[in-house]
Amino acid sequence: MLEKTGIATEQDLAGIMPPKERLAQGPVAVIECFQRIPCNPCYTACKRGAIQEFEDINDRPVIDVDKCNGCGICISNCPGLSIFVIDETYSDTEALVKIPYEFLPLPEEGTFITALDREGKAVCRAKVHKVLNSKAQDKTPVVSLIVPKEFSMVVRCFSIDDFYSDNTIICRCEEITLGQVRELIRKGYRSLDEIKRISRAGMGPCQGRTCRQLIMQEIAAATGVKMGEQRMSTFRPPAKPIKLGALLGGDDHE
Amino acid sequence: MRIEEHPILSFKKGPKVRFTFDGKTYEGYEDEPIAAALHAAGVRTLGHSHKLGRPRGFYCAIGNCSSCLMVVNGEPNVRVCVEKLKDGMVVETQKGKGDLR
Repeated sequence: MLEKTGIATEQDLAGIMPPKERLAQGPVAVIECFQRIPCNPCYTACKRGAIQEFEDINDRPVIDVDKCNGCGICISNCPGLSIFVIDETYSDTEALVKIPYEFLPLPEEGTFITALDREGKAVCRAKVHKVLNSKAQDKTPVVSLIVPKEFSMVVRCFSIDDFYSDNTIICRCEEITLGQVRELIRKGYRSLDEIKRISRAGMGPCQGRTCRQLIMQEIAAATGVKMGEQRMSTFRPPAKPIKLGALLGGDDHE
Repeated sequence: MRIEEHPILSFKKGPKVRFTFDGKTYEGYEDEPIAAALHAAGVRTLGHSHKLGRPRGFYCAIGNCSSCLMVVNGEPNVRVCVEKLKDGMVVETQKGKGDLR
């Protein structure tokens, strides 16, 4: 199959997956190199000797996962872009996937992208954690993505298309994106007030007149609690921005 | 651009007045919103967002969103979409959150 499609099968992957116990300890390189070809830059790049010396240059790389600390130097050194670093200790529910990315434009850190699997199918949304593109990467930038843990071994590429509209700004005053609001809802913030207090959405000059409804819609979509049944945030007068002079009243001498 | 003819609405226009915007002289009709006069004159960027500096245009047009805050006759934070235009007004783009003098 691999020879025909270029896509690794489950059988191929079974042979190279790091053990669960190792993944639980921290970042580790996963080398998805399945064909015998005369190529060994991964071995020469690894400063820790985690990638074993090649007896025959056509050999496939063998990694000692206990020596690997997930530094990621090998990612940019692999001409076939087949090395990834997976860090399943990033958070309780999320993993970090470091991907070599030789396309333009590069994504911006902190934005949301659509994560793709080995076949190029959209899998989930992911946040761009870091983009490394210094001399050390030698024009093979390394992009780290924050993905839900269950997709750490599925996500291997991404499209900067904002398929889920995560980069759409819904609080114009404080410039909070839909993705940021969704992230907060996933973290457990479940009411307009909570989201307002943690993100400042709704605390700018317009006082929530634009984003209030949109955030409540998003809470409704995520939790199933209808907008009418959600608690509104606290309203304080004035209902519209007015000049202080209007409140003062009286004549100029008072 | 202005709407001159409309099937149901009619527009009462005051006399033509002159005002300055960022040092340049513009013409508008008295008592129309300042933002309307600017829009008619082709000014599309009324301010910039504080955090990311993204351009802000004519958005809600009813005094709700505070996207169009400008300095008018030296007074900052004036919502030009609801402030009426008078002859000789000095309108300036506001940078940042505005200083009280």
